Amino acid sequence: MNSIRFSRCISMLALVVCLTMAQPLSAQRKSKAAAPPDAIKIPFETYKLPNGLTVILSADHSVPTVAVDVWYHVGSKNEVPGRTGFAHLFEHVMFTGSGHVPYGVHDKLTEGVGGSNNGSTTNDRTNYFEIVPSNYLESALWLESDRMGFLLDTLDIAKLNAQRDVVKNERRQSYDNQPYGRVNEILAAAIYPKSNPYSWPVIGSMTDLSAASENDVKDFFRLYYAPNNATLAVVGDFDPVQAKQWIAKYFNDLPQGKKVERPNVPLVTLEAGKRLVYEDKVQLPRLYLAWPTVGGGNEDDHVLDILADILSGPRTARLTKALVYDSQAAANVGAFQATSENAGQFLIIVTPRQGHSLTELEAKVDEVLQKFISEGPTAEEMQKATSGAELSFLRGLESNLGKAEQLLNGSVFHGDPAYFRTDYQNRLSVTAADVKRVANTYLSKGRVVLSVVPQGKKDQASKASESETVTQLLTTQSSGVKGGK
Amino acid sequence: MERHREFVALLAAVILTVGSLSSVAQAQKLDRTKVPEPGKTPELHVPAWTKTQLANGATLIVSERPGLPLVSFSMTFIGGANQFEPVGRRGLAAMTGSMLSEGTPSKSGDQLSDALQLLGTTVNVSMGAEDGTLSFVSTTRNFEGTLAILSDMMLNSTFPPEALERLRGRTLISLTQQKDQPTVVGGQVFAKVLYGTAHPYGQRPNEASVKAITRDDVVAFQKAYFQPGRAIITVVGDVKAPQVKAAVEKAFAAWTKAGEKPSFDYPKLPEKQPATIYLVDKPGAAQSVVNIGLPGPPRNTPDYFALQVLNTILGGQFQSRLNANIREQKGYSYGVGSSFAYGKGPGPFRAGGSIFLDKTDAALIEFMKELKGIVGEKPITDEELQTAKDSLIQGLPQRFSSVSAIGNSITSLQVLGLLDNYYQNYAKAVSAVTKEDLTRVANLYIDLNHLAIVIVGDRAKIEAPLKATNIAPITILDSEGNPVSNAAQSRPGN
Repeated sequence: MNSIRFSRCISMLALVVCLTMAQPLSAQRKSKAAAPPDAIKIPFETYKLPNGLTVILSADHSVPTVAVDVWYHVGSKNEVPGRTGFAHLFEHVMFTGSGHVPYGVHDKLTEGVGGSNNGSTTNDRTNYFEIVPSNYLESALWLESDRMGFLLDTLDIAKLNAQRDVVKNERRQSYDNQPYGRVNEILAAAIYPKSNPYSWPVIGSMTDLSAASENDVKDFFRLYYAPNNATLAVVGDFDPVQAKQWIAKYFNDLPQGKKVERPNVPLVTLEAGKRLVYEDKVQLPRLYLAWPTVGGGNEDDHVLDILADILSGPRTARLTKALVYDSQAAANVGAFQATSENAGQFLIIVTPRQGHSLTELEAKVDEVLQKFISEGPTAEEMQKATSGAELSFLRGLESNLGKAEQLLNGSVFHGDPAYFRTDYQNRLSVTAADVKRVANTYLSKGRVVLSVVPQGKKDQASKASESETVTQLLTTQSSGVKGGK
Repeated sequence: MERHREFVALLAAVILTVGSLSSVAQAQKLDRTKVPEPGKTPELHVPAWTKTQLANGATLIVSERPGLPLVSFSMTFIGGANQFEPVGRRGLAAMTGSMLSEGTPSKSGDQLSDALQLLGTTVNVSMGAEDGTLSFVSTTRNFEGTLAILSDMMLNSTFPPEALERLRGRTLISLTQQKDQPTVVGGQVFAKVLYGTAHPYGQRPNEASVKAITRDDVVAFQKAYFQPGRAIITVVGDVKAPQVKAAVEKAFAAWTKAGEKPSFDYPKLPEKQPATIYLVDKPGAAQSVVNIGLPGPPRNTPDYFALQVLNTILGGQFQSRLNANIREQKGYSYGVGSSFAYGKGPGPFRAGGSIFLDKTDAALIEFMKELKGIVGEKPITDEELQTAKDSLIQGLPQRFSSVSAIGNSITSLQVLGLLDNYYQNYAKAVSAVTKEDLTRVANLYIDLNHLAIVIVGDRAKIEAPLKATNIAPITILDSEGNPVSNAAQSRPGN
């Protein structure tokens, strides 16, 4: 799952760009389409410091602000069973001060001067960023360098416990107190075997977090938060010559860390399907269908994106038209390819209208899928699914942070900051035959069918008698929570 | 470990001598405890725009922004659901907005959708309480094509009856789903407690009002509402003003002069009530949703800038007093804050957030401590005042960071009745705020004796601890905000 959690700010921040992730070493799709339009460009330069830190600079003077964005190539995937939730915990700890930066100074030099800061964690990477008025670039670099180099100087058990409590509150707010809030972790646990690092949620297990010692946590930081596992992007209104001097000044003397071994994650298929039912505090049942697919580096990833756009969204999309408009059996329906670095899932989510059962909706979805798998998309469907690409990419270029994220995504997952052009071209080069093949390849195989039903209403599940009840979840929280520091 | 780091650092410095001698010197004597000084404050460039009145009475604003081949278009109508929805028809404005996509004489709903997909864009219709907007962002190449579709939707919709029934069904489902969302329930009950059901600010669409909407209501609303006399059209992007004017006049040639800006007369507020805790039971909830507040001033209050500075200190930011205490120091929540909602009428002041069940009482004590603090018990420091001002003033460029952000920033001046040089004068207005102003407005608008404290949470677990705080008497409400009968009010054991 590419679950991005903007877990620090009071208000959620939406990223403009939609990130796709990919395996760095996989072969790139051969280009079939013409080169992207000239406007699809981000001028940048990139270089490496002697300690392994990759730097990307891209100047744009249209607004007097600058984004500083650091990606660490670490996410929940790098954790081990029994010690999950560390990457996300660090996302919190990293804002509590470091060797030379007292607590509170980070916020003061960002939101206190009209800027902002935040971080997010996925299975594959963690990002930390500041958006500041352009005259505060040097202090933003100072802040990032200090937590990269000196975080552990001030990290003690009290600080750790305080952030553990905040994370537990995040879990209550974003998962436990949300209707349908536990679906992602149920699906991940059902799709992946326990040994697969995509099988546990990004937020991790509360029991693991409580059990982790100060040393466990510090060892994790020493390995994964070193310059050689990080990439720094500076995008916006700045002078590149000056920026390079400051980057040398604050980052050059940070020590290189040990070499990071990337986990080898095999792709998953479900030979037999699984049928699950989960009782939740909800008024209406909902149906989730999930198939294991591929990660961002695989050439089928773009095709699955297009397949999702043809199946749901606008009113003439296949599932939307059949379920929401023609038969009106559903209130809404969504189809998505959720892409991670080494794995992916194709999801279909349906909320029924009154008088329509989940069993009926599952059959209706299958009817549409069967027809699509045998016929494939029309030429007009292909055109509609790709005609929005230019606009959505151009809109991403309007924001300094959006550009930084594009460049970093390319650099970290594909070894090429300019990967966005390849990505754009790949999307436009998908053919109708590709879409038909991919629908057949992935959606004909085993899947997880999850029915979320109101409490005491297990009979509302799709094919209730064949469904197994979900009771024990990995992240069951520990009883009793300490009252902060 | 420390020594290890210094050793490697030295190595790095040695390697660097090849490239740059000066960085070695820097690396050796770098004092990391020294906070880098900011550079010279960058000049604020407020985008320029032209404003003209079209023959039909609509206002057209164009801001040329060469660069990316993008254009943002918005048409905002002054007045919204509160001004134009008849009694008993809450939800009609939004329903009419959705019905605009359902077909015109020349295109069915499916054909409208297909045409927009091929242009790579979407037309957004957003009907608010005091204004409503049709908008899109497109490539410059597809601007006129998208504009023609927007115009067709707004002026010629056929409102098929079966579409109304489909949308009604969907709306009723989302009303049902909202009952699962403690934050939505909290917001609705808070509004009802503050404003009562006779005031539009206390009303929300409900099952009865959505079921009552007829096709005739939709047709009448469309006719009465989408009139040029109250429309502000704002176009921003890689365009030229004369071409934009010609394109807009062509797309809206059939739209003739009519309509005016509505008055915003609201009924009187209900009598002030002594501070009370209103508890809505949500059995099994892992968190309690807390909303504390009372009706505040409208946007045109002369106290606006003082209140913005005040709220930045109290609860507008991560390091504001409320979040610094309740999240960061105490760990009771994932985030709390406060806001003034303003509006044309007395929009609410609100402080609150989602609180860990077991800490509901402890958090409420802290909320009250901070509110008492801001009205005088914990005086505002010079540093707090300066940081809040810096943050507001230096945050201004972010309002001009995209074509749609620029469009919104310009349109909002027209909607709120502010001067065209508002942004140029913004820094001066914020800078002029004094500590005395803050104390005065805090006492004027945060009236501790009349706060409504609305808490949605697990009553069985939190009622007794809340009572023990002695902060205010407790009244039990249902999830619609109606009092629960006496028998249920006094449950054994509470």
